Amino acid sequence: MDKIARIDMGAAGGPKVTVGPVGEYAGLGGRALTSLLIAKEVHPLCHALGAENKLVIAPGMLSGTTGSMTGRLSVGCKSPLTGTIKESNAGGQAAQVLARLGYAAVVLEGKPEGDDLYKIFINKDGIQVIVDNSLKLLDNYPVIEKLRGEYGDKVAYMSIGTAGERKLLAASIACTDPELRPTRHCGRGGVGAVMGAKRVKAIILDDAGMKMRPPVDPDKYRDANRKFVEGLRKHPVTGEGLPAYGTNVLTNVLNEAGGYPAYNFKGGQFPGSEKLSGEAQAQLEIDRGGTATHGCHRGCVIQCSGIYNDKDGHYLTKQPEYETVWSHGGHCGIDDLDTVAMLDFMDDNIGVDTIEMGVAIGVAMDAGIIEFGDREGAIRLMKEVQQGTPLGRVLGSGAAVTGKVFGVERVPVVKDQALPAYDPRAIQGIGVTYATTTQGADHTAGYAIATNILKVGGDVDPLKTEGQIELSRNLQIATAAIDSTGMCLFIAFAIMDQPETFQALLDMLGSFHGITMTGDDVVALGKKVLSAERDFNTRAGFTRHHDRLPRFFYNEPIAPHNQTFMMKDEELDEVFNW
Amino acid sequence: MVTEKRGEYLLRLSLTIDPAEIGVFYPFLMQGFQVVVRVGCSIRELLCDQFGIDNEYVLGRITTVFQNGKAIDDLDAAIVRDGTRLTLSAAMPGLVGATMRRGGFYAAMRGSITHKETGESGLSGGGTITMKLFNLLLPELGPDFLKVGIGVAAADLADFFAKRPSTFWRGCRQLLLDGKPVEPERLMGGEAFFGEGTVWLSVTCWKEDKEPARN
Ligand code: SF4
Repeated sequence: MDKIARIDMGAAGGPKVTVGPVGEYAGLGGRALTSLLIAKEVHPLCHALGAENKLVIAPGMLSGTTGSMTGRLSVGCKSPLTGTIKESNAGGQAAQVLARLGYAAVVLEGKPEGDDLYKIFINKDGIQVIVDNSLKLLDNYPVIEKLRGEYGDKVAYMSIGTAGERKLLAASIACTDPELRPTRHCGRGGVGAVMGAKRVKAIILDDAGMKMRPPVDPDKYRDANRKFVEGLRKHPVTGEGLPAYGTNVLTNVLNEAGGYPAYNFKGGQFPGSEKLSGEAQAQLEIDRGGTATHGCHRGCVIQCSGIYNDKDGHYLTKQPEYETVWSHGGHCGIDDLDTVAMLDFMDDNIGVDTIEMGVAIGVAMDAGIIEFGDREGAIRLMKEVQQGTPLGRVLGSGAAVTGKVFGVERVPVVKDQALPAYDPRAIQGIGVTYATTTQGADHTAGYAIATNILKVGGDVDPLKTEGQIELSRNLQIATAAIDSTGMCLFIAFAIMDQPETFQALLDMLGSFHGITMTGDDVVALGKKVLSAERDFNTRAGFTRHHDRLPRFFYNEPIAPHNQTFMMKDEELDEVFNW
Repeated sequence: MVTEKRGEYLLRLSLTIDPAEIGVFYPFLMQGFQVVVRVGCSIRELLCDQFGIDNEYVLGRITTVFQNGKAIDDLDAAIVRDGTRLTLSAAMPGLVGATMRRGGFYAAMRGSITHKETGESGLSGGGTITMKLFNLLLPELGPDFLKVGIGVAAADLADFFAKRPSTFWRGCRQLLLDGKPVEPERLMGGEAFFGEGTVWLSVTCWKEDKEPARN
């Protein structure tokens, strides 16, 4: 990963490819690379869909190696949804293949004139940018089907659906999984719209003839990876809970805690939650001949995903994740897994973020466009998005736009990005992260729960409520660092609880690059990334007043605990004071 | 464990089923079932002394506990009272999973929904509590609870039996209602429970005839 490819889509005479050394971004990967590059090279006041914006696609620091769990891909840009800097990451095969091809990043720049649509083919011989108007207005599944006819099954694909082509603000970028299905999405922030604005429909990554990236110290790397995998396998969350039930195992617990936002954040519990639970979902998948245990990329040993078949036993979609089951389920008053699975398939196919889309439909329900609980109605609305009707374009532009167009007061967004599946009135600490993250409301921005072992920010008394600001800060720092490694965030439980597993991770990073890596280095990296992101946002016009939750969280107590969000503004302003 | 609801007659249904079918009863355990226990004790005493669950298992495996929807940090301090709703779960993924964990590093993040013991004494003697089991605890603790018996709503049970396929009934070795054999049709149609509120359901797997049960 010693080179960066820059593709100027707007160059005179057609797209122009320049491959150069990685230069000042050497040693970086994932979110560190996307955010530092965007912060340095993109004008913060540019229009996110204009020629000045850049779309940076970067594998993680350990992607393309024999290391386990290393296949996360980061995509960065200025977000058309939030107006902030954005890093959106996904699993799938793309990160591994791109890294083995030697690219630390592929950067799409400029914007072509005219309405030709392009595909980009990258293999060991170089990069070709090819006009392919036959892909116009195809959704992700048919796009991949068509491309497979041409490029075969031994490659990885990235693509946008019709939502990306139409530059809808909820548009995602799909990455294919090991079965070449477009099920893994860089979902948040409208990154698909930026790819659509640059008229790039698909990227085909072919690593034939390339080898795994070699570590500087292969023996130490192999040994560290073995210990890392052992640690993941023996931990109850990464070795048992996630493989058996996936992330949707959270539905029952969140509902019990009164932190499961139902009916567009009007209640903290949903009566049909057990029908949507991970336990019920896993059983249904197994009964129908699918599987409740599946990896989104080769080399994943946790395998939190699954295959969801329809009633006749035919593939319908990958296992919908907790946030998807919530956004299309309890948030919309829908208690039917088959409906949720169909909506998940449509999200993947059209190419939209499942959280943004589900929340937007719930906001539309609040506006009376359809009733809460209307299963067919929700599918009908998704078809409107697919067809690009005026209503579909409104919904596909996310919850904030939908709320404005229909005059809804209760719109659960921060910096115009929809809140995920945890009510901040019940779990106040997560509200701190929602409010202050550089990314707009995002649960994964403060997800790396291994802060205690990372020793981020010193000792915090976790049982004191005043510690929440510090906890959120530490979580955001740790997450920014892990997002840069290419590691899936779900490793965090094992590294939090098992010091030897954390050491194994440090040893993997160290032996790969031939350096000694400490917890302090990880923290320094996380802070560097967050500082660059905050700086970009400040220059883009964001102030501390944007680091707030919508007022209804402060004014409307939520049942069953009848709590409001109680963190003071001055406290929120302390999160980034380090 | 006390096996009958205090001062109240309950219809008792005992099934001996194919072990492969035990999982179909887990939704009852997730939705909430009643058990009759001695109240006034701590949650740890309830789990270890009354239910006979190994202390190490309680500490290492049951990492997430809610009492009446509030997260529990100290199993020794929280008192079980008549009418308590007690929910048990194994470790959960993600930040919120870590936040909900008993005595965990991120407990402060859900401070407003943390159970705080009031100091009021719980009733002593028998009481009825509602329990829920989630995720990994379903296959690990569920069969024992089902074997001893759980109180479930008659309407839910009737609905459940109406949906069972013929393979389920073929795997049943014994169906007893108040100790007397009952035809599957009476269970499928729900008439066996007509007019009942709660039914005391116990489920044994026929494989267990030969193998000793856990605990
Ligand atoms: S744990 Fe889940 S999200 Fe993470 S790499 Fe594996 S399948 Fe993908």
